[in-house]
Amino acid sequence: MMSVLKHFAEYDRRIVYLALFLVVTIMLMTPIGLPISVSPSTMQYYDVLEALGPDDRILAVLNTEFSGYMEIQSGIIASIRVMVEKEAKICIAVAHPEATGIPELVLSAIKSTMDEHQYTYGEDYVVLGYVFPNEASVASAAQDWHGAIHNDFYGNSIEGTFLDEINDWSDWTLISDYTTGIQTTALINHFGLRGAPMIVNGIGVEISILAPYLDTGIYKALLQSMRGGAELEYLTGHPGPGMTAMDAFTIGHYLMILLIVIGNIGYFGYTRNAGRNVE
Amino acid sequence: MGLLLDIAVFVIVYYYLKSGKIPYVRRVAGLDAIEEAVGRSAEMGKPVMSTIGIDGFNYWTLAALTILDHVARDCAKKGCRILVPTGGSDSSYIVRPVAEEIVKNAYKLEGKEEDYRPEDLPFLSGQQYAYTGGVVGIIQRTKPGACIMVGGHHSEAMNIAETSNMAGALTITSGTYMGNVAVLACASDYILIGEETPAAGAYLSKDPAQRASIRCQDIYKGISIALIILGTIVLNFGSNFFIQLLSS
Amino acid sequence: MSQILRSKELNLIAMFLAFLAVFVPYFVNVPALDVFSTKLITITAITTAFTLLLAIYSQFRRGFDFVRRKPRGWIFKVYMMTAILLMLLFALGGLETGPYHWVMYAIITPLSSVNYGILAFYLASTCARAFKARNTKSILLILTSLIMLFYQAPFTGVYVNLGPLGIYLADTFVMAAGRMFLISVTVGAIVFGVRVLLGQEPSVLGIGREE
Repeated sequence: MMSVLKHFAEYDRRIVYLALFLVVTIMLMTPIGLPISVSPSTMQYYDVLEALGPDDRILAVLNTEFSGYMEIQSGIIASIRVMVEKEAKICIAVAHPEATGIPELVLSAIKSTMDEHQYTYGEDYVVLGYVFPNEASVASAAQDWHGAIHNDFYGNSIEGTFLDEINDWSDWTLISDYTTGIQTTALINHFGLRGAPMIVNGIGVEISILAPYLDTGIYKALLQSMRGGAELEYLTGHPGPGMTAMDAFTIGHYLMILLIVIGNIGYFGYTRNAGRNVE
Repeated sequence: MGLLLDIAVFVIVYYYLKSGKIPYVRRVAGLDAIEEAVGRSAEMGKPVMSTIGIDGFNYWTLAALTILDHVARDCAKKGCRILVPTGGSDSSYIVRPVAEEIVKNAYKLEGKEEDYRPEDLPFLSGQQYAYTGGVVGIIQRTKPGACIMVGGHHSEAMNIAETSNMAGALTITSGTYMGNVAVLACASDYILIGEETPAAGAYLSKDPAQRASIRCQDIYKGISIALIILGTIVLNFGSNFFIQLLSS
Repeated sequence: MSQILRSKELNLIAMFLAFLAVFVPYFVNVPALDVFSTKLITITAITTAFTLLLAIYSQFRRGFDFVRRKPRGWIFKVYMMTAILLMLLFALGGLETGPYHWVMYAIITPLSSVNYGILAFYLASTCARAFKARNTKSILLILTSLIMLFYQAPFTGVYVNLGPLGIYLADTFVMAAGRMFLISVTVGAIVFGVRVLLGQEPSVLGIGREE
């Protein structure tokens, strides 16, 4: 018995790595379809998207590098799909050089929805590329859009697109921020605090930073990380990478709980007693 | 209101710097541990690794540079090697020359110019995880006695702190946002939370005037607490006065 | 001349003037100052971008020295320098949409995603190592973490409604701690900034403190 407790107290951390790897890999390769519940924050986010219409202009800012995109891609794809279904006009901008390829990935994932609603480049959506490298660029775009932004990602002038109607921050119906924390504060300072409605989809570690802004009304809604993206996929009826990962997400959480319990059994059964015996 | 509070900060800090009064400043375990960390590494004959974050010139990086100055001076005094890998983002390029200058000056002021090694201050990469891979590799190869990780660290902080813990180094970190504070509190031996990092320069200098300026932070925290309490009471009586006063 | 430019007083004056140029427009509406402030920030951003050249020089200087000494792993330095040159050639040679993109999306982004994914393993091992009920505070921590872990797992919510408890913990304690952190960090930053402007923190200028 003591040797078991000793193992519980002093196991090699590589066992933890192996266990987590196996759990996640098996669940991803053979998902068992565990049901998921929808949290109130995701419902709030969904309600904001559902209220959009054909005259609305949305600035979707990808404030993420590629590694962060893996966590929030389900939320990005699901929310932009809803925007397309509502036939709102979408402008996609990027705040990190690694993320310049992400708009193409997102748009190719929702191509069928875009074809169904006959989305035309320039008239219904524009991809700007890496236009927000720092706070100065965000500030300039908020104050004088056409003074700061001239061309789109493909090098064509933005004149003649729906962006002709945008002069400054007040002309946007919604700012949708997909963030790992890069230019989020700049967007809040120059768009949100001036009164532009904002919603945000953040990675897990950003949630505690973003929540106070939700509470004060600067953000209308907050979508929480991969779980929120999966719930949004469920609500919109388009399962995707988020829902696929939820089995692994759930079992991974339960594994962490098991590890904490095992560690404490080992601590109380062996480590504390070993300390007393030495004394 | 904001302008008045900012002017008041200047006046109060200046007053404390000139007054010569020495108020009580509580011990900050993380900052006291920095000297212990360098001493421990010097005894074991191992290097000290000090990272300053991946951000450009924001105030986390500036605070980390003041700590780097102290650590570099200590290392030069005790004959301990210091490793300062830099990089991690597009805006980190500009920080490396300043860090290099600080370490070089530290060795010069201690009269140990010949011990300064420029190859111990590598610029690893402008990409966050390439930088992380580089730092983790350096930790695993050199097995430092201490890893002092202050400044603008983001999600790579966990990687570096855990690797440092696995290598047996004394790990001192600072959390730049709540999520980071939570994980680093578990992964590191000492953590600097919130204002302890920017106060480090004043605390470590042991200059009474500098330490006195830390009192200004406490005054402003007191004002914040008073405004929160008053605002809560007044709001419950149906008045938005404090909200209007403090909103932009 | 270089001694004059490196003098602490001149650097502090330049820093203070730059501070005023950015700080004053927030409170005083002077359009010319607004324009100057925006231009100053833009110039700073462009100057910062040019330090990329310094970084490339640093990499090659260190790389050549490493390869000359041939310690263990020197071939990786050759690989790194070759990769830098190739990517520079692709970008300057107008090959962004072909080889440059391929290297970015076939090599760099999967590698950085893997490094980000490794975080989960480190978090798991930290949880297992650090969450021990040594005293009352750590017991409270463990209980809270168990509640939040169960709450965050989507499957739990189907059978056990931990929502009200999880939301209560997030909206009270976590929110309070987050706001406390923001207030203390902001206050610390302001006081630190004032000490820098008053010349009490010379390290930020790259000047060591004389004792």
